[in-house]
Amino acid sequence: MSAADDVFRQDFPVKGGDFAKAGTAACRIKELLKDLGLDSWTVRRAAIVAYEAEMNVVMYAWEARIDLSVTPGSVRLVVDDRGPGIPDIELAMTEGYTTATAEMRELGFGAGMGLPNIRKNADDFRIESEVGRGTRLDITIRTNGRRTP
Amino acid sequence: MKNPNHHAIHITKDKCIGCVHCMSACPTRAIRISGGKARIIDQLCIDCAECLRVCPHEAVHSHTTSFAALEAFDYKVAIPSTVIYGQFGPTVVPNEILSALRRVGFDEVYDLSSICELNCAATEEYLNEHPSPRPYITSTCPVVVRIIQRRYPSLCAQILPIEPPREIAAKILRTILPKALGIPAEKIGIIHITPCPAKIVSINSPATLAKSYLDGAMSISDIFPQILKALRKSEEDALMRHLFPETLFSGIGMGWPLSGGETRGLKSHRAVAVSGIRDTMRVLDEVEGGLLQDIDLLECTVCPDGCVGGPLGVENRFLAKSRVLELVSAAGEHAVVDQKDVSRLYHRNFLSFDHPVTPVESRPLDADPGEAIRKAQRREAIFAGLPMKDCGICGAPDCRTLADDIVRGYARLEDCPFLGKEKR
Repeated sequence: MSAADDVFRQDFPVKGGDFAKAGTAACRIKELLKDLGLDSWTVRRAAIVAYEAEMNVVMYAWEARIDLSVTPGSVRLVVDDRGPGIPDIELAMTEGYTTATAEMRELGFGAGMGLPNIRKNADDFRIESEVGRGTRLDITIRTNGRRTP
Repeated sequence: MKNPNHHAIHITKDKCIGCVHCMSACPTRAIRISGGKARIIDQLCIDCAECLRVCPHEAVHSHTTSFAALEAFDYKVAIPSTVIYGQFGPTVVPNEILSALRRVGFDEVYDLSSICELNCAATEEYLNEHPSPRPYITSTCPVVVRIIQRRYPSLCAQILPIEPPREIAAKILRTILPKALGIPAEKIGIIHITPCPAKIVSINSPATLAKSYLDGAMSISDIFPQILKALRKSEEDALMRHLFPETLFSGIGMGWPLSGGETRGLKSHRAVAVSGIRDTMRVLDEVEGGLLQDIDLLECTVCPDGCVGGPLGVENRFLAKSRVLELVSAAGEHAVVDQKDVSRLYHRNFLSFDHPVTPVESRPLDADPGEAIRKAQRREAIFAGLPMKDCGICGAPDCRTLADDIVRGYARLEDCPFLGKEKR
């Protein structure tokens, strides 16, 4: 069996504004990673990343696809959304910065920790965004990477 | 011997007709029907008793301590869950119930409400001393501990390491009684009386202690008829207990078996209480996803409304809850336990776990990472071809689980009743 076969791929659609289903994709991803036998800290970091990314889509974007690919050494999540985009990425990466409405914050969302938290739990993190079109996150977590979330 | 897969829930083969009620109700998909009978997969079962609640044929039962088993002890002590106070009418006071238990065959009976208050005070102290991680999760519900060990292993370190009231009470009694009575420790039997089938699991294979301080867990529904008989026979006793109450009950601890009761006594911490197995799992998923970090303490109980909704109670949980709430307000808000005593015990580590909760080995598709990935690919391909009706006729609770069983080698594609027919 060639090494190319050792990749598990699956994608998960996420709908913007669908708060009732928020977290479903992240849970499915977590279950999958457990079935694949990854250690619990890798699973936890991936769960946190997936949860935050999914919440960002639900709160701000119109729709997105989360592409999961897992190899024996790494978990990669690519989150490609159609949405308003982020005008100032550097500002958005600042802890505590949020554009969440008062209503969202009342629901306990949008504390402005999403993107910084994703970066904190990732071993490799890339973000591209185009205003009016959407945002793409490319996140890699290595199974032998940082030990604590 | 400590066996993490020891269980309280069992299926009586003779009574089981192989319907799918228990299998559909199981939150961890631990039940399969094979050969016309339900079977529990030990590794997946968390003893939540959802199956016991729904079985229409009384084929699911729990192993609790029988009255006959008490004969092994010279001195028998009962520490009933405060749920018991909600099982009788509004005229029966807690002191009468404790007294009736003595007449039923226990040498001594101790109320747990003051120990519940003590636990709450110790929890407060622990939270003050440990500002992170957040949230901590309470360990009173043994099913919550088991589900974290199996499905949320990274949360093991967030279980607050103070023993629940039943174990603290038994530990105190085990320390004091042998000397006070002049009876060897092993001849004193300390029995918890409970509406919960999972307590016996936490006694036989404790997750945080080398050995449980309790000798058994008796079901409220088993002992209820005898208590009732003893109560009926003793109107004079009832009058005496009303006039001369001998136990001081804690209003802070009395409400412990109601969802939110464990954390009600906290003075300076933000707590959230969740009850019911599915809601508990949903919230634990969120905690594992990094949410709820602004909460100090998360109380989870898998029975609806808390322990008062346990399947081995007698009174319906709404009436029981209402009665317990009456008793809570009758007992008042004042503390019956001295904070200094609690602090002393706490700092002697008398209230702590012996060891932290550790994850129980998970069940990956394959031990080899590459092979696990290939099996996951196959599983997706199989699942895509299944009818998604989740009918349960194949013997698995849903199509996704059937696909999983197939790649693990426990089932075959032909088990699906729809696939063959469509081809024909």
